[in-house]
Amino acid sequence: MSDFVQVSQLWPLIGYSAAVLVVIGAMLAIPRFLSHERHARYTEEPFESGVVPVGDVRVRLAVQYYPVAIFFVIFDLEAIFIFAWAVAFREAGWLGYLEMLAFIGILLASLVYLWRIGALDWRTRRQRLQDSFLD
Amino acid sequence: MISAVDLIALLPLLILTGTAILAMLAIAIRRNHRLVFLLTVAGLLGALALVPMAANMTPRTVTPLLLVDRYALVFTALALAAGLVVVCLCRSYFGVRADQPEEVYLLILTALLGAGVLAAGRHFASFFLGLETLSVSLFALIAYPYRDERALEAGIKYLVLSGAASGFLVFGMALVYADTGTLEFSALISASSTLTIIIGTILIVAAVSFKLSLVPFHLWTADVYQGAPAPVTAFLATVSKGAVFVLLLRYAVAGGLGQAPALVNVLSLLAALSMLAGNLLALRQDNLKRLLAYSSIAHMGYLLIVLVAGSKVSGSFAAEALLFYLAAYFVTTLAAFGTITVLSPSDREAESLDDYAGLFHSHPWPATVLASALLSLAGIPLTAGFVGKFYLFAAGGLGELWTLLALLVVGSGLGLYYYVRVIFQMAKPSLDIAGKPTAPAPLEAHLVLVVLLVLLFGLGVYPGGVIDLLTMAALR
Amino acid sequence: MLGYLWLVPLLPLVGFVILVVSQGNLDKRWVPWVGAGSVGLSAALAGWIGYEFLAGPAVSYKLPLWSWARVGDFSADFGLYLDFLSLNMMFVVTGVGFLIHLYSVGFMVDDPGYARFFAYMNLFVAAMLVLVLADNLVFLYLGWEGVGLCSYLLIGFWYDNPENGAAARKAFVMTRVGDTAFIVGLILLFAALGSLDVQTLLHRAPASWRPGSDLAVLAAALLLGGAVGKSAQLPLQTWLPDAMAGPTPISALIHAATMVTAGVYLIARTHALFELAPAVLQAVAVIGAVTLLMAGCSALTQRDIKRILAYSTISQIGYMFLALGVGAYSAAIFHLTTHAYFKALLFLAAGAVIHSYHHEHDIFRMGGLRERLPVAFWSFLIGSAALTALPFTSGYYSKHEILAAAFAAPDGAWLWGAGTLGALLTGLYSFRLVFVAFFGPPNLRASEHLGFAMTVPLVVLGGLAVFGGLFPMPLGSALPRHEVAGFAPSVEVVTEAAPFIGAGLAVAFYLTRTWSPEELVRADWGSALQRLWFNGWGLDWLYGVLLIRPFRWLAEANRGDVLDDVYRAVAYFSRAGHRALAATQTGRLRWYAAGLAGGALLTVAVGILA
Repeated sequence: MSDFVQVSQLWPLIGYSAAVLVVIGAMLAIPRFLSHERHARYTEEPFESGVVPVGDVRVRLAVQYYPVAIFFVIFDLEAIFIFAWAVAFREAGWLGYLEMLAFIGILLASLVYLWRIGALDWRTRRQRLQDSFLD
Repeated sequence: MISAVDLIALLPLLILTGTAILAMLAIAIRRNHRLVFLLTVAGLLGALALVPMAANMTPRTVTPLLLVDRYALVFTALALAAGLVVVCLCRSYFGVRADQPEEVYLLILTALLGAGVLAAGRHFASFFLGLETLSVSLFALIAYPYRDERALEAGIKYLVLSGAASGFLVFGMALVYADTGTLEFSALISASSTLTIIIGTILIVAAVSFKLSLVPFHLWTADVYQGAPAPVTAFLATVSKGAVFVLLLRYAVAGGLGQAPALVNVLSLLAALSMLAGNLLALRQDNLKRLLAYSSIAHMGYLLIVLVAGSKVSGSFAAEALLFYLAAYFVTTLAAFGTITVLSPSDREAESLDDYAGLFHSHPWPATVLASALLSLAGIPLTAGFVGKFYLFAAGGLGELWTLLALLVVGSGLGLYYYVRVIFQMAKPSLDIAGKPTAPAPLEAHLVLVVLLVLLFGLGVYPGGVIDLLTMAALR
Repeated sequence: MLGYLWLVPLLPLVGFVILVVSQGNLDKRWVPWVGAGSVGLSAALAGWIGYEFLAGPAVSYKLPLWSWARVGDFSADFGLYLDFLSLNMMFVVTGVGFLIHLYSVGFMVDDPGYARFFAYMNLFVAAMLVLVLADNLVFLYLGWEGVGLCSYLLIGFWYDNPENGAAARKAFVMTRVGDTAFIVGLILLFAALGSLDVQTLLHRAPASWRPGSDLAVLAAALLLGGAVGKSAQLPLQTWLPDAMAGPTPISALIHAATMVTAGVYLIARTHALFELAPAVLQAVAVIGAVTLLMAGCSALTQRDIKRILAYSTISQIGYMFLALGVGAYSAAIFHLTTHAYFKALLFLAAGAVIHSYHHEHDIFRMGGLRERLPVAFWSFLIGSAALTALPFTSGYYSKHEILAAAFAAPDGAWLWGAGTLGALLTGLYSFRLVFVAFFGPPNLRASEHLGFAMTVPLVVLGGLAVFGGLFPMPLGSALPRHEVAGFAPSVEVVTEAAPFIGAGLAVAFYLTRTWSPEELVRADWGSALQRLWFNGWGLDWLYGVLLIRPFRWLAEANRGDVLDDVYRAVAYFSRAGHRALAATQTGRLRWYAAGLAGGALLTVAVGILA
């Protein structure tokens, strides 16, 4: 099992993690002893660097946000493949090149598809309707 | 290096991929239901036609991930044919129900691609990729009528639970990898079975059992079967489960898992529980789709006998038995859900048993198909199901699995009760025709039913031809 | 042409399917074309095939049809097998079958169940052809059960009358006793010899069993059980007289010419097995001899015209069994063939009488029908002559061969004696029937209106009954040859004389009234014997006491049915299990996910611990 990292080599890491935990614990614990609690009018207000907070915290995002987010994640992940291929570009050779061409081609096709079905259109249905009247 | 021969061996899957992309572009350019439908049918037929050509190149290991042999190709052909049936059912079903029915075909194509990869998988990576391709397509298919809250609920349930099951799967794979250091199935046969490997394998089996809806991983089945649109349920019940089973047998045979008593124990337990609980759950069920869901639990339990026996009888016989049973089960299940599809009025699905009262009188033709399918599920002689069950008995007998065979008999007895109950319901004098669902009579759906009925009895009366085909598909 | 053999059984089956699918909506004019036409085509095809086969050099022909399933070691391949034995049977079934179909066209024309009748008849012919042509015992069994089913359906054809239903049930249950033995025998053969293909079996059996070994005896005895049930031999013969409840063409086709001789065919087909079990073969001969005497005595006392013929059929099949038992297989099949001719003729003639005479069955209420019903009379006369085996009729040749073979068998004198005595009885009861029904003062209430369809079969069968014995099928290649030395002259005289003595006694008792049968019956022993014979030797009563009454008592005693509680418990626990499990289907995702996790824990635990 030479592949496996020996536990003895891990000691520094464990020690560091333990130190982090101790520091955080101390930072949370010390004020408890040093301070005393006071309840006044503004103590419970969120502290936003002096700006008075406005509105609800639960913002409703438009549904278009989610598809775009998902597309971003998906295409981002696909890009990782291209990176991996780029690293081994010479070893993969022409065959690898062709395969990557096919891969990118499929990506492109799906992008065309997404674009055509209007998944990238950041407008609500009503806005789209209004725009079509304006045209 | 990949060679031309490798590409020919992969042709059915490549055609499938190409068709999916073409269909996607066709939708992008202009939405046309008929065009996408025809494109899909053409693609499926093309892929089917190329299966024999690919079969000449077998067995062939294409990249470390896939092993294209006759075993894989026979199942691929089976899945493609089932896909064709489902596509034909979908056309009329989604044509009247969905605003944009075109993507259904796209999703079916990708799901079939996943199934094909699973059938040929010899590596954990292809296992996982195939399974996820199949499952992700299914999520969307199940929730396709997204305005129907039951379909949406079913889709979400399947998504969440399937995700959890995939977690188990990956963890199991990781454990096995931790001990063997490779992702190929065949590596397991030489590895000594350490505790890590056993736990890893059992976790993999647990995840797969979820897909196969084996007890105790079955809870989702009825809700999803009921919520999903009927053609999609047909697809889920056949292709998805069949592909996973085909992979499981290859994994068990290639990995030499029959020698591990722990695994045999687990599989026997799952089989026993599924046979009993599936049939008991279906016993007094009044919703036909749920009834078929529970019956599928029992059938997957029956089929596990082959897997357990696979450790004792030859892998080739187990493969033959499995493929025949799957073929019979596919035909039967597709016929049953096909009838449900054809009978469903456009605003809902005919799923309550009350919808089927007096069906023999009001709609004799679909009633005949459904009754035949139910008899085949019950394993009555001269139907496909009988020969399938005969195989199970043969496999169980050769493997000397007397307890499981006894449970199979008990389960079949219970099964007869609820299958025949439906037939009785259909034979009742019809009191009120007015409230009965009316079939919009789409031609290709009826044609599909004719073909399925012929196959259903053909496999039961003359199984010899198919059996000869399957003996060539022997595994190892 | 031989390749079209499969069409022979298929054509009647197609007729059956057409008649059944049309559900009686077919125009009545078309029913006979489908019903009788399909069998006629089949007969013509059989004739053509037979001609070619007889002209050709081959002694057997095998037509594989399909391999039904091949799973592991088990394989069930179905095919048809034609040799001279099955060819002979095929001729009888299609030929006589067609004539009877033709006859039925006229006989059943007023019946509301016209189409249903022909549907069953066609199914019967198809099943019977499968039985005789099958190359495999499983396939043969399919035909065997098929003919049993048709027999049941047709005996109870007039199901409005509960008595007919009871007769049908009786026939079905009694033959089922034999069938059970048969199927057990099949399983035994498969287990011991590993095949059910007839020819393979016949080759393997002598190779793996020595003569008289236990397994061979057991297998042969079980097959004999099946044959005895189907062919109405002792002790399972009581169903046949009651089976006369069906329409008369049925009695002619099923219960005289074809189905009841299936047992004879089975034994001849598997004769190599029986040769390995000499004790069973001996039993076959004894069963035949005893049955033929018992049935002959019973036939003497009956009043119902069809019951007389039924007992006569049992008696004649007894002759066939006798022949089989002494190894004269071809004589048995020869007698089977001639019997099919003349007994079908007799039944059809009886049908003509019944048809013309207000559905009267009692011969003592007929009398003097000779002049009013000439066709029926002459048919009856010819049929009775052949049945009695008077010289130059077909029955003479076949029965003579049987008696000669019986005499030649070791210790065959007894068997010969029984057969000769039986021949005497045959003469007596046949001519009793003829004299009582047809002679005497002319009867004016009957009038014959048979029509073309009913007359032609009678004429053809009359011709066959006389001349059919001149052309025996060359069975030598299918069955072992049996050389018979001639009789000693004194024995020959007795053999030849017996039928004449019987017929002469009938003349004395019933025609000239020299002696009075009533006087015999009036004596104490006479009336007792008459009652015993009339009731078929009291076997029905015996079975009633031995089997039915205890069974009823048991059923009565077990009215609450202890065993039912077991089933009720099964149902109860099934429902309880269903309820318990259904409660787990909550529809909540949270719970389902928990189930997933719990299941994973469970399986891992089982994997590690067990």
